[in-house]
Amino acid sequence: MSDNTRKTVNRKKTRYPVTDYERIFHPHRLAIIGVSAEENGVGFGAGMLKVIMAMGFEGEIFPVNPKGGTIAGLNIFKSVEDIPEKIDFAIIAVTARHVSEALEACRKKGAAGAEILSSGFSELGTPEGKDLERQIKEIADKGIRVVGPNCFGIYCPASGLTLLPGPDLSRQSGPVAFLAQSGGMSIDFAHAGKWLGVRFSKVVSFGNGADLRETDLLHYLKDDPETKVISMYIEGIKDGDSFFREIKAAAKKKPVIVYKGGLSRAGARTVASHTASMGGSRVIWQSVLKQAGAIQVHDTEELAQTSMAFALLPRKAFKGISIVGGGGAIGVIACDTAEIYGIDIPPLSDELQARIGDHLPKPGSSSVNPIDVANPFVAPPTLKEVLLAAAEDKRVELQIIVSLLFHYKTIANMFNKPVAEVTPFRELAQAIREVVDRTGKPVVAVLPNAKRGLDNLDITEMIAMARQEYIDRGIPVFDELHDAIRAIANVNTYYGGKNYEKR
Amino acid sequence: MKKDSAIKMIGNALRKGRTALSEYEAKQVLAAYDIPVTREILIKDKKNLDAAIQKIGFPLVMKGCSAEIAHKTEKGLIHVDIRTATEAKKAFKEIMAGMEGFDGGVLMQEMIKGRRELVMGLTRDPQFGPCVMFGLGGIFTEILRDISFRRAPLEVRDAHEMMQEIRGHKILDAVRGMEAADKKRLTDMLINIGRIGLEIPEISEIDLNPVILSGSKPVVVDALIVLK
Repeated sequence: MSDNTRKTVNRKKTRYPVTDYERIFHPHRLAIIGVSAEENGVGFGAGMLKVIMAMGFEGEIFPVNPKGGTIAGLNIFKSVEDIPEKIDFAIIAVTARHVSEALEACRKKGAAGAEILSSGFSELGTPEGKDLERQIKEIADKGIRVVGPNCFGIYCPASGLTLLPGPDLSRQSGPVAFLAQSGGMSIDFAHAGKWLGVRFSKVVSFGNGADLRETDLLHYLKDDPETKVISMYIEGIKDGDSFFREIKAAAKKKPVIVYKGGLSRAGARTVASHTASMGGSRVIWQSVLKQAGAIQVHDTEELAQTSMAFALLPRKAFKGISIVGGGGAIGVIACDTAEIYGIDIPPLSDELQARIGDHLPKPGSSSVNPIDVANPFVAPPTLKEVLLAAAEDKRVELQIIVSLLFHYKTIANMFNKPVAEVTPFRELAQAIREVVDRTGKPVVAVLPNAKRGLDNLDITEMIAMARQEYIDRGIPVFDELHDAIRAIANVNTYYGGKNYEKR
Repeated sequence: MKKDSAIKMIGNALRKGRTALSEYEAKQVLAAYDIPVTREILIKDKKNLDAAIQKIGFPLVMKGCSAEIAHKTEKGLIHVDIRTATEAKKAFKEIMAGMEGFDGGVLMQEMIKGRRELVMGLTRDPQFGPCVMFGLGGIFTEILRDISFRRAPLEVRDAHEMMQEIRGHKILDAVRGMEAADKKRLTDMLINIGRIGLEIPEISEIDLNPVILSGSKPVVVDALIVLK
């Protein structure tokens, strides 16, 4: 099929009214269909109602179940038709064979969209399942956009919509949008984001993607003012052509980070040429993402860490960095890692080295860059002076400070005090914030923990508290130096690349 | 050859149930897309040998040419660096004997001299359609797999990135007394391979290996076009 014929069958041409994403992500009037007052409300629908209430959703909620009754102080409507006036959005959690009827009723009630949590569709691979999904698609084509079926739905902190088992997700909005087919991946990423310091604009788990899926959502997020960074986990896509077009267009405007799963069965096709045998799906995906200007990552940790770095760092590439830490090996490892990722650690000028040296304990310290502060107990005001001085070198565009806070356990034991009390993490976070404000150059914190055993749970807790102090001040914080450098390198790849439209 | 005659030729091959073009046919398709190929003449009869020698000139390469025969080297169907009419006659005889009755002829080809061999190609990804390949050619293609891909259509920038992306990209620079490769020409070749992929759906795969740098100029020396 030639390119031209492909375009004429593109369904976008016959789209009905423009999708009202505002009413989908920020609904004022929300129907939840399949809420059973019986069984103590343990079904998906009742579960969803409760988590959305727990999130503090401010709009009106209309639970629906043919048996009626009440749940959580709300009157259950016997049918969608009984809901007074129009609705904006619906959550559908009835059994598969009742879904299309419910969806059609929501469409007639004026809903802009619906998420279908129910499973039992094309994922079964049965003719019945496929047929039920086709019915959903047909109704969607009449003008109601569908997320799902077989998904965990939408999480939107600003409106209080949340994923299925997510009553405890943050209500704080942020710049990162996340897309995945997988519901489990979405909820896990949303939770990981919470402690990593990633705040979300929208998270969408679209399951089977009968209607809305990666391509449409990329198209929307590209111009969504709430979204500054797009993060996605992809297993399969529906149409390579439109996907490529949309991801390339989106990546011109904002970073798009992709973790593509399911590359291990590359080369399953039978081919005759060397070119085809070397062009398995792993290498093609890698090439296509690069061509589109998207950033490819290789596991969920890198996805989350990279999203965080994009969200918190200024929009530019950081070619030269300084590294401040205690212990010679950290410096050596830092240099090795930075080189792999194409980042320079320039030696500071003699004048700056001398000034930094004046602050540092002797012997055992080094002020060349990496700057070795010799021991983990150097006080925050001193570290602040070191960072302020290193930032004066114009080749230093970003600073990393590695703080081995776990060593404070020794001091805690010495004075018989809790480790959280003797560790100056709050002062350090504050000092770093002041350095960033004064120098205009970002500082990235690394808080490794070599003591994670059961005998050191107090350290784990203290480091979690420390992380929060950094996150609250908008400072990117990582567990490991390698993670930090890799995330910075991903930022560099994007802003140093030519696809990004500088504005 | 013009593009429409190339497409007609492919149609004929498909009607005969063939799954590939012969090297000679493949190069005509490439030439129709302004991709530089070796000067060559296909002869089936010994009496045309002298005329072909006159036209191409020594030294030359003689190859058995048939869409039905793969692995020409292993079957002794390639004779290189032929410098005299006597050598040419001997080669012609051996090649025709080695063809074992398959339909085809002997390809009389200019011998391209150059120490740098590249590979270019086309594959069709089930998801992303035609994708163009670039990399180190000759025997290194499979050993080093130093290759890059881009989805068609290619922009000039895509072609540049493909060349920069391989580990051995310095082979394109002026090294060891050799001229820098003509990147403009390489760029056009990659873009045009992508165009073939978009415009001729009957072609499923292409291998151009080696593409030899003759001084700065890339020339396609061997070509395989696989049909759907």
